[in-house]
Amino acid sequence: MAAGERRASLALARRAAGPVLWLAGLFVPVLLGGSWVSIMAIFAIYAVVALSQDIVLGRAGMYDMGHAVPFGVGAYVTAILNTTFHWPILATWPVAIVVAAVIGAALAAPIVKLRGDYLLVATIGFNIIFVLAMGNDVLGLTGGPDGIFGVGVPHVLGRALSSQGALFYLDWLVLALVLLMMRNLERSRVGRVFRYLKEDELAATTLGVDARYYKILAFAIGAGLAGAAGTLFAVQLASVSPGSFVFTESVTLFAIVLVGGQASIPGVLLGTALMFVVPQVFRGLAQYRYFVFGIAMVLVMVLRPQGIWPRGRGRP
Amino acid sequence: MDVVLQQFINGVTVGGFYALIALGYTMVYGVLKLINFAHGDLSILAAFIGLTVLTSGIGGADAGALLVALAFVVAAALVGVAGFALELTAYRPLRKAHRLSAVVSALGASMLIENGIMLIWGPQVKVFPANLLPHISWSFGGASISFVQVLIIAGSLLLMAGLYFYVHHTRFGTAIRAAAIDQDAARLMGINVNRVIASVFVLGPALGAVGGLFIGLYYREAYFNMGWIYGLNAFIAAIIGGIGNIPGAMIGGLLLGLFNAFAAGYVSSSWQEAITFALLIAILLVRPTGILGERVADKI
Amino acid sequence: MSGTALLELEDVGISFGGLRAVDGLSFHVDEGQIVGLIGPNGAGKTTVFNMVTGVYRPTDGRIRFQGRDITGRSPHVVARQGVMRTFQTIRLFAGMSVLENVLAGQHLRTRQLWWQGLLATPGQRREEAELLARTHATLERLGLSDVAGEIATSLPYGVQRRVELARTLVADPSLLILDEPAAGLNDRESAALNDTIREIRDSGVTVLLVEHDMNVVMNVTDSIVVINFGRKIAEGTPSVIQNDPAVIEAYLGQDDDEDDEAAGGLEA
Repeated sequence: MAAGERRASLALARRAAGPVLWLAGLFVPVLLGGSWVSIMAIFAIYAVVALSQDIVLGRAGMYDMGHAVPFGVGAYVTAILNTTFHWPILATWPVAIVVAAVIGAALAAPIVKLRGDYLLVATIGFNIIFVLAMGNDVLGLTGGPDGIFGVGVPHVLGRALSSQGALFYLDWLVLALVLLMMRNLERSRVGRVFRYLKEDELAATTLGVDARYYKILAFAIGAGLAGAAGTLFAVQLASVSPGSFVFTESVTLFAIVLVGGQASIPGVLLGTALMFVVPQVFRGLAQYRYFVFGIAMVLVMVLRPQGIWPRGRGRP
Repeated sequence: MDVVLQQFINGVTVGGFYALIALGYTMVYGVLKLINFAHGDLSILAAFIGLTVLTSGIGGADAGALLVALAFVVAAALVGVAGFALELTAYRPLRKAHRLSAVVSALGASMLIENGIMLIWGPQVKVFPANLLPHISWSFGGASISFVQVLIIAGSLLLMAGLYFYVHHTRFGTAIRAAAIDQDAARLMGINVNRVIASVFVLGPALGAVGGLFIGLYYREAYFNMGWIYGLNAFIAAIIGGIGNIPGAMIGGLLLGLFNAFAAGYVSSSWQEAITFALLIAILLVRPTGILGERVADKI
Repeated sequence: MSGTALLELEDVGISFGGLRAVDGLSFHVDEGQIVGLIGPNGAGKTTVFNMVTGVYRPTDGRIRFQGRDITGRSPHVVARQGVMRTFQTIRLFAGMSVLENVLAGQHLRTRQLWWQGLLATPGQRREEAELLARTHATLERLGLSDVAGEIATSLPYGVQRRVELARTLVADPSLLILDEPAAGLNDRESAALNDTIREIRDSGVTVLLVEHDMNVVMNVTDSIVVINFGRKIAEGTPSVIQNDPAVIEAYLGQDDDEDDEAAGGLEA
């Protein structure tokens, strides 16, 4: 094959790889079954959160280390509306997304002006306050340190999605939608603006970009998507508790983006798999999990700072 | 019982070890503009090392003060070495890289150390022996101050004074300050910046180590994930005083200790945490340079 | 005169701490003109540009654009009025191709909303095609079509300058501010730049530029404002400025080895 043809085939293979892998995933309940179904469901949920973190950190370049907050907001909104107010799960979903997005924007508004390190510390602060608030049974709704139990399942067309397989397919479908949105983001003005802001905010503003608006928008979109994943998470676990949204979770999400590859969809997915799926496989060595993560994070940054699977060059 | 005076004494004690740990953050930030997320864990590592020395049976049953002193020396020395090793492996290779890489490396180091502690000493809470220090206390003005509190307050003040003297009245201390202001200029002046950075990573953690062991002795317990919460609090103290500013870290530590002590009387401990962090955010928004910090240059 | 003035500076001044960087500066740029702002190094020229484009906020005075007061407005607001600028140091977006960089200039001419982007609505996709077409047209105009897919910052300096210029032109500005557009260009490139600038003016864009290269300044401008130590010391046509004693003194007052260059340059 001539070099040009080979390049074209590789490019085609690259583009096809994603959809092929996704389609392959549809067979997990059928071919693998058992605990793999819930592992992959969790993977899909965390992949959505990680992609949403990437919007703020990898694409818009803002040091957000509190992304567990909108994830938690979405989860808690669904849990509260479903268990206390008996809303159907699917009805809680848009509310969870909107509330998470609004809170994301509201928290971002005062802090986007801060310099990198300080922004990072502020987001940590928000995370800690959020977890403490949820653990303290605010307004008698959030359930204290043990959280809320008994979250139901979505009902679609009158049928309950109560099996692991059904929930997995829902999560897998949402992942596909989010991946599509990420791709659309890259081909739209808003996605481009995030890149401009990350590369050179000053130049961007002289081209007419309202930096503050777009920074808050990045947080809001990231938060909304994380909130959507939160709903799925609450359903998957049939419960929510503050412990799922502690600061270390935000650190993990942050690390996924940096270690996987900023603004790189395959990188972020790979990072998510490494952080969430691999430990599931090595359950017996669970106590070593974070120790290994720690070493891995240092090694990757020192040896390959652009991430394991960096964004392709010249990719629009 | 004069509550206010008692809380003041408690506050100054806690402020003492917060200040010692905060100094480590501020010194590193001053020179490298990096938040060493692993610093809290290094400080707590000292508590574990100290505990191991204190329960090792060295010197027999009546080792007393000497054993305690040995614990401090060993802990500070080992943690100082750990700090040096940390800089060499996780931060030095990233000097030329993007800031974010160093942040992730720092977080990774923090996770590594914390979980390393857990793997070595186990996940349970470790209790410090009851009779390490004399159970004496003195009363005055309606409050009492215990031996350990005196030890901590005196020790912290001594170390802080020593550090201040070192940084402001010795040649190497001046080199540290110069490197914090402008690394390149310092290098051009013939200052061995690598040596300065390495020593900051020995000195800072060593001070934090003393603080960490103080924490262990004061609360008579240590658990592997103490590092991040005490670390974060100390970091907030450093920011309050002005990150990069040494007297600022001391003042910040003191203020935070006092705040914690006084708030404890009126607010539950978990809301106390929330208030501390809310305070942090407020400071970042209103006066990010802290009480004593210099103006940070806006990026043009 | 302010009737046709596109840009007007009235008594503008700025202090940085104790340093008075610009003081009592007044001048105007009429529509359709090419005006040059010159002065020795450190005179405050880029500071003036930064004030006009909203990067700095003046401590005194007023800046008006098309009669509207834009003093102290943020950069994106000023850009929205129709003012585009280039930078002395060239600020192209790293890691992005020439095409992507120039496309960035169309931000203000884009209508699509963020959610339309996320959902890839038909209207949004249509607009993307339009934006791409317009970008290609501008690249063509500036002879950059060949390098459209190259990473912008990997190209030669002169080409990068053209890319930055293209990025501003695609925005269809009313006023174009050029900060040392000839820096780093050789004589042939400077001459080409002169043609480009004239062509830009002929297409309806007013130009205000800062330049040290007298080949450019003396040949392409209609009017020149000279500043030194933040103050205006002369204003007029190129020939007037060339012979103005205050101007000659300001330039000759520099280091000896710059004298000959300056004196020779002034007569270019």
